[in-house]
Amino acid sequence: MPEENKVYTIFDRPKGLRFIGLLQMAFGAVGLLATIGLIVASIVGSPELPGGIGFVYAALVFVGVAIPCLIIGNFVDDLRRNAVIAQIIYSLAAMGLAGLFLFLRGLQYIWTVPLFQIELVIAIGNLSAFIVATQAFVILYLILTWDSAVPPAGAKVIRDRGEARRYEQDLVPLPFTPAVLSSDGVTELSDDESKHVLEIRKEYTVEGMAVLCSNCGGATPLTKVERNRLKCDYCGVTLGVSSVFVPCENHPEYLAATTCAVCGNHFCRKCLTAQEPPVDERWAGSTIFMCRKCFEGRYRPAVTTTSFVVPIDKLFSTAGSRFSSVGRIYGRFLGAYGSVMKHLWRVPLELLASLGKSGGGSGGDNCVGALIMIVIIIIAIPILAGILLLVGAIIIIPFLFYAGLIAVTFEAIKVIRKTDFQSIDTVRIQSIVEKKKQKQKQSKMRPVTRSWESDYERIPSEARRRQMEEHRRSEEERRKRIYEDRRPAQTFWGER
Amino acid sequence: MTTEVDVISCPVCGGKVLIESDDKVSHCGYCASPVLGPDQSRMCVNHPGILAKEVCNVCGDLLCEDCFEKRVGDYGGKLLTIVNCSKPSCVSESEWAKSLNEEYQRLANMDWADRADNIILRITGGGAVIMMIFELFFILGMLYMQYFTSLGSLFPQWTIAGITIPGLPVIALMIMGNLLGALLLQTSLQVFVHDRQFTSGLLLLFLVVIESAFLLWRGLYFNLRQLPDPTFLLVLLTAFIIGAFLILVGSLGAVYIGNKKRIQMNRAKDKLGLSG
Repeated sequence: MPEENKVYTIFDRPKGLRFIGLLQMAFGAVGLLATIGLIVASIVGSPELPGGIGFVYAALVFVGVAIPCLIIGNFVDDLRRNAVIAQIIYSLAAMGLAGLFLFLRGLQYIWTVPLFQIELVIAIGNLSAFIVATQAFVILYLILTWDSAVPPAGAKVIRDRGEARRYEQDLVPLPFTPAVLSSDGVTELSDDESKHVLEIRKEYTVEGMAVLCSNCGGATPLTKVERNRLKCDYCGVTLGVSSVFVPCENHPEYLAATTCAVCGNHFCRKCLTAQEPPVDERWAGSTIFMCRKCFEGRYRPAVTTTSFVVPIDKLFSTAGSRFSSVGRIYGRFLGAYGSVMKHLWRVPLELLASLGKSGGGSGGDNCVGALIMIVIIIIAIPILAGILLLVGAIIIIPFLFYAGLIAVTFEAIKVIRKTDFQSIDTVRIQSIVEKKKQKQKQSKMRPVTRSWESDYERIPSEARRRQMEEHRRSEEERRKRIYEDRRPAQTFWGER
Repeated sequence: MTTEVDVISCPVCGGKVLIESDDKVSHCGYCASPVLGPDQSRMCVNHPGILAKEVCNVCGDLLCEDCFEKRVGDYGGKLLTIVNCSKPSCVSESEWAKSLNEEYQRLANMDWADRADNIILRITGGGAVIMMIFELFFILGMLYMQYFTSLGSLFPQWTIAGITIPGLPVIALMIMGNLLGALLLQTSLQVFVHDRQFTSGLLLLFLVVIESAFLLWRGLYFNLRQLPDPTFLLVLLTAFIIGAFLILVGSLGAVYIGNKKRIQMNRAKDKLGLSG
């Protein structure tokens, strides 16, 4: 397979690329903090930043470090050619600037940064050397692993993890396009040509049974089949002929496209909807096709797999999923908040200890300062943060809960109006008309899995044997009847 | 092998079909639907002259009605139907799935009730949606009156451990009303499931009585009759009466049809010896 036709997934990226992405993001985060620090220092009138120079520095750091590092870091590990090129250019520039800085100021150069009442000593010379070293590593790595870090131009890259996982399991070998394909089955038609095909296509034929085109939806009579292939009368695409050789259960004028995966009956594209396949290695396809009845799941599980039967806790979990997820987020946040508080308390306590050790001098001022610091950092900040969290929870959680209830109501309306069933034919035409790939969306009110619970398994073995025997006899009789009534093969095919 | 270079599109999903053999079934590279090979006969492999209807999921042979059996297999929690031919190897490969009991399916078929079920679903569902919307507007209106107008003084207050939280009864009782509305909505959809129609109908009847009683009690408890402008009350009451009436009618229909289905199922089980 030519390299440009190969499909790459996010799992194909080299591990080092991920590290580079994270490293750049970390530089970006530091740049953002530095920007905020410079702005705050300028606002409070720090003597080290006279005449508004702090704002200029802040703008430079923001534009030169924070933004590019965050953007490039975000994209560079996604197997994007332009991002990798941008990363190399940026790393070269960063190396150059940091190297120049080192050349001018030397490795021992330090900065003293004021932070409230304390001063931070930053070994800026060492930091520059670190930047030079890391950016050199980044450049070297990207050049050495160019082939794996940069897919060929025009190659398809699946970045969504879910989709990539399905692809890795051989479930999504082809990307689909929301445009009508030309007769070669590959090239996309222009908008005008697509519109023209949709206008001229007919969904019915007067020449007997037809096949619905999976490209444009037009109906081509079955009599035009040659070597089990059919050229669509409207878009010219060559269609294979399904091995399911019977009319659609609901539309005798169409040849069935395939079987419903659940009930096993045969349907055309107008009567089938598509759902995600089960996670099971025995299921080879990327899709399961399902008729309306099975989609609605009105029968017992021996017959169907989908169901309306949503346990009541599921309904509320649907409505309250946001509630619980917000709760989880809050839980995690509170955990993180607690651990941060430990450090927050440690710092002032250490400061307090150092104040105590300093002794003498302006002892009264130190004491007052320490008390204020304790009040602000240990008590006021946590309480303020706690109140904000509580207010947030009181407002946000009910709001989201009610949003969930409203969403459930809308889903229920769709179910009642029976508009949640979308046939593959409708979806295809919609995607062409709207020029966007239709997202596969399953109704929240119709779960697609149901535990195995067969009546057949519950009955005693003797009864089961009797039942099997009876079943076998009745089946034999039924088959005899069918055999006697069987129509000749030509029926579907006219007089060919 | 075929030498043609044309792309063959899957008749189901439009994906590319790679023809592996001219006289064997190939599969769509995307959805795996079976597609005939260019020179493949459309007839059953065992009965030439009879059009095939199915494909063996193991060997890919085309089969007529006499030559296949259907099984129900559990694929990762989804019960799907597969077809296998009678070759011992194919039967053995398919034995993990259970034979489909077609007689049970025939006896348990309830397609006769489709029309009635659709009407019942629309009636109960429509009523439940009205009730749900009614409850949502009810809580919004009550919160507005409680916190943004002087009408909040009409409403009783609860004092817990000496602390009076303004609007607590409104919030608590209205949320209970919303939950009851959601319960009604949930149950009203279940009347569409054959084997739950009867019990769902009964449950709906019970719930609509509870909801009516709870609503009347809330109206009296919050002194809504004393509202200076009765429009709010009238609009809500009208919506409630329509919703409750629809649910009542729908649930009675669900009980009636559901009972007939229950009798049908019991007879089917008796006939097949499944009752024991």
